[in-house]
Amino acid sequence: MDSRRTFLKSLSGAAVGAAALAGWPAWAQATEQSGSIDLPGEDRMIVRSLRFLDLETPVEYFDSWLTPVSHFFVRNHMHEPVELNAGDWRLTVGGEVDKTWTFSLPELAKLPVHSVVNTLECAGNGRGLYRPQVPGIQWQKGAVSTARFSGPRLADILQRAGVKSSGKHVMFRGLDEVPGKVPPFIRSIPIEKALDSDTLIATHMNGAPLTKHHGFPARALVPGWIGAASCKWLAEIKILESEFVGNFMSPGYRFPNQVVKPGDSVKPEDTHVVTGLNVKSVISGPLDGSSLKSGKVTVQGTAWAGEADIVKVEISIDGGSTWNPATLGHERSRYAWRLCTFSWNAKRGDYLIQSRATDSRGRVQPMEAAWNPSGYLYNAVDQVTIHVA
Amino acid sequence: MSHRNSVIVLVLIALNTSAVTPAQNSAKLNEELPAGALQQKATTACLECHEARIIVQQRLSKAVWSKEVDKMVKWGAVVDANDRDALIDYLSGNFGPGQPEYSAPRSAQEKTTVRRTRHTSK
Repeated sequence: MDSRRTFLKSLSGAAVGAAALAGWPAWAQATEQSGSIDLPGEDRMIVRSLRFLDLETPVEYFDSWLTPVSHFFVRNHMHEPVELNAGDWRLTVGGEVDKTWTFSLPELAKLPVHSVVNTLECAGNGRGLYRPQVPGIQWQKGAVSTARFSGPRLADILQRAGVKSSGKHVMFRGLDEVPGKVPPFIRSIPIEKALDSDTLIATHMNGAPLTKHHGFPARALVPGWIGAASCKWLAEIKILESEFVGNFMSPGYRFPNQVVKPGDSVKPEDTHVVTGLNVKSVISGPLDGSSLKSGKVTVQGTAWAGEADIVKVEISIDGGSTWNPATLGHERSRYAWRLCTFSWNAKRGDYLIQSRATDSRGRVQPMEAAWNPSGYLYNAVDQVTIHVA
Repeated sequence: MSHRNSVIVLVLIALNTSAVTPAQNSAKLNEELPAGALQQKATTACLECHEARIIVQQRLSKAVWSKEVDKMVKWGAVVDANDRDALIDYLSGNFGPGQPEYSAPRSAQEKTTVRRTRHTSK
């Protein structure tokens, strides 16, 4: 159909033309093929936003212990730095230190390299599943991915500068380009977490240099904690006497101290900063709403718990009346998710399949997540419905 | 005309009218704010810093939209004080809790790498 081709071409051309006028990223283009959006280096990701870039990993990609970079979720608060030249890039370390220190990329590369397989999850993952809905990117299940991050330990970097006894918090400043009067994306972590031997200044992800979307040339990697702690495009580390004061420490990234009635507001003094991740599991297959043939059906999923270990994942195929232990995958690392499977001989019918994780701290995935005004840390028991014919 | 082609034509007609729902419209690169008296002012105030999709995916009450608008004005969105209430009405009217669910588009298939390479711990 020529008319279809011509129409789609004009649609695509108009979109690209508008993109150029409205200052859209040059790498984003509408494609003719399927009406999908062409993002180099990204593969069939759910586009929550292009400007700023926010890409969600579809759950069907959770069948791989390490997430390929092209499937790894992207969360940007602001514009990515326009110009990033590895040769000009510097990381400064200052504040409560004996001597301010500056590292170039080659200097950073001379420090001992450490690798951590980490499940990185956005604090707002699942926000779109809370009711009533709350403002923010409406992530569903896929603002979470796992990669092997490599680079020097933050502790080794801090040791060069010499942290004074007055230094209690470590601030990260990235090179995000701030629009309007938006407060800069600056946050801090306590010195104890900063000195942990698994906290890195990562330069590599799955064995390759970080891509721009993931913080090239260097990012913080604070394992087991919300993604916002792992500042991208890192340019400055500053040792502070107290927690950094700024929008992204308060009122941003805070959780109510008490249970909140859905829809209620919470006073800032009744909140605490969000740090470690919750216990959680997600079903990666079968997909919600799918139809399968009767016989052996295998439920696949993945489970993680931040700084704690997953001790079991249970699957229910009868809407929560009975729970069956899933088999946990052999690939494991302290801060990484565990893949899991459960198979049964399915007869014809409709099934509500649910998954529930338990961690080494005794935390159990709840039937309902704790509603909060910012939609953080969603971790309700996951569920899909399938039809077996 | 085959059934398949008929379906394609129907889809094209739907895409080419102004009455499309967000779900049908969402594969567009350049998501737009809906028609209305405040469309142009909202476009100017909001889309300077971020794209329309960030607004279009919200389903918020009027009280929550009010807080968001006031926060964004503090962060540099240019909204005439006389337009504030109308802007909140426009946003909560189009993107309130009762609106149909927003369906996000997908990015295209990656062309340069082998798809679905299984990474292992080795």
